[in-house]
Amino acid sequence: MLKVENIFLKKGSFVLHKLSFEVEKNSYFVILGKTGSGKTMLLEALAGIQKVEGKIFCGDIEVTNISPEKRNFGFVYQDFVLFPNMNVQDNIKFSSKYKKIENKGELCDDLVDFLQIKEILGRNIKNLSGGEKQRVAIARAIYSRPKLLLLDEPLSAVDPTFINSIMKSLKDIVKRYDMTIIHVTHNFREASFLADKVAVLLDGRILQIGDTYEVLNEPKNIEVAKFLGFKNIFPTKLLGFEQNGRYFSVDPNKIGFGDKDGNDTYSFDCVIENILGMSEHYKVFAKVGNETFFCKVHKSALEGKELKEGQKTKIYMDKKDVKFI
Amino acid sequence: MRDKGFVLVFAFLGSILFLFLTIPLIKLFLSVGFVNIFTTIQDKEVYDSIFLTLKSAFYAVVFVCITGIPLAYLIARYDFWGKSILESILDIPVMVPHTAAGIALLVAFSNGYIDFIDTTTGIVSAMMFLSAPFLINGAKEGFKKVDVKYEYVARTLGASRLSAFFSIVLPNARNDIINGALMMWSRGLGEFGAVVIIAYHPMVAPVLIYDRFNNYGLKYSAPVAADMILVSIVLFLTVRFVNNRLK
Repeated sequence: MLKVENIFLKKGSFVLHKLSFEVEKNSYFVILGKTGSGKTMLLEALAGIQKVEGKIFCGDIEVTNISPEKRNFGFVYQDFVLFPNMNVQDNIKFSSKYKKIENKGELCDDLVDFLQIKEILGRNIKNLSGGEKQRVAIARAIYSRPKLLLLDEPLSAVDPTFINSIMKSLKDIVKRYDMTIIHVTHNFREASFLADKVAVLLDGRILQIGDTYEVLNEPKNIEVAKFLGFKNIFPTKLLGFEQNGRYFSVDPNKIGFGDKDGNDTYSFDCVIENILGMSEHYKVFAKVGNETFFCKVHKSALEGKELKEGQKTKIYMDKKDVKFI
Repeated sequence: MRDKGFVLVFAFLGSILFLFLTIPLIKLFLSVGFVNIFTTIQDKEVYDSIFLTLKSAFYAVVFVCITGIPLAYLIARYDFWGKSILESILDIPVMVPHTAAGIALLVAFSNGYIDFIDTTTGIVSAMMFLSAPFLINGAKEGFKKVDVKYEYVARTLGASRLSAFFSIVLPNARNDIINGALMMWSRGLGEFGAVVIIAYHPMVAPVLIYDRFNNYGLKYSAPVAADMILVSIVLFLTVRFVNNRLK
């Protein structure tokens, strides 16, 4: 549905580096990235707000130089950007002044029902909560019947209590309104619940793109792994591999203390550097050569064993728990 | 207790200025007397002069609305080479002596192409030259307060740049623009130095006040001054009231 080829954008010191990706029709595509990684700028480039080098296709039509008003991509900003000089209803129906909207009466009623905003239709936007503003902004964007809906961190200003129900609504939009969605966020939970496909954008570069499970669980490089919160990332040399430049990671919960040798296990001599007692587990930092492993050990697992700072012991991990990056 | 002392000191200092600003007006109205104020405004020369002043200042505001608001928008939205120089140039009229501004206008425009000397055009030009920065700066500040994302969103919803400007930007910057326009208008109403150089006749109210003071003394100029002040106050209060009602 959307095909992006080598788009390049420089604004001040920030650069989007020749990004290319495709988004399928009626799919939910999530772009994950840190704050300042270029997510909003990318969405603005797709919407035609920022001029870019490269090519953007919507279906078979190149839209790179088509103005935002003719591109027909909806946009919902993080802070919702509801027009202060209009009430909720006028905000939602704003697009009908400028373009023909089929079955607009039915569509409006359906949106009001779907997003549960009937009670606030006549309200001034100054008197809305974060969640209400978000629903109005989404209704306004959908009402304009866009081919593609661009959502910029739409859940960041919403009360956490309502996030699950709103995520469900977002997911339903694709089928209910025959729409494709690109959603940018820094939140993995949103990505794992909503996305059909995920791209990881860091420092203006897409570092990995693919199915949600694959991207979130099998990072292809160390930057993505670190961003996704993988711990204990070390060179594979530590496991005895000769190949340089490759890394592995192991979940802190999957590391055990004591002797356990065997073909299915990696085992290392270590020195306990530090032990922090938490409510139900210990955080243990164990030095192996020049590297420090971070381990989370449930208190019950250490019954009968004694760990002390400075103590020489062994750590082990099952080979199946080791992820290669 | 300390808070109370703090507020009292500030209120005392503020009230000194407040009295300084209001006593001359109150004293003027009381000394002239309301009967005299209403009799004087029926004098055709006074009525024509006040009307000419209001009209000329209004024309100046309209012209700057049409030309200065787009300029203010460009300055607020874009960074370009020479922007700070342009902004400084636009502020020059506020700094120069008004008679010097009148001379400059005379040199620039009394070339025979425009009927400039002793005309309404000349009066409007003088008022505009010296008061335009108030409206331009007001509008500029207003536009800066309207997040550019409103325009972006309006455009993704189908509005052209011009439509987004008129339907979103202008209404949300309205208060600052109206305040700027009022400031410009009020400055125009009081303009004397530049106007007297370009057009002694037809007489605007400040020139008429000066003329009567010079030729007949305080007794004949004070009622005209009181009339002009009263009309200005009524008009300002009306515009502000209407603007607040429209919010």
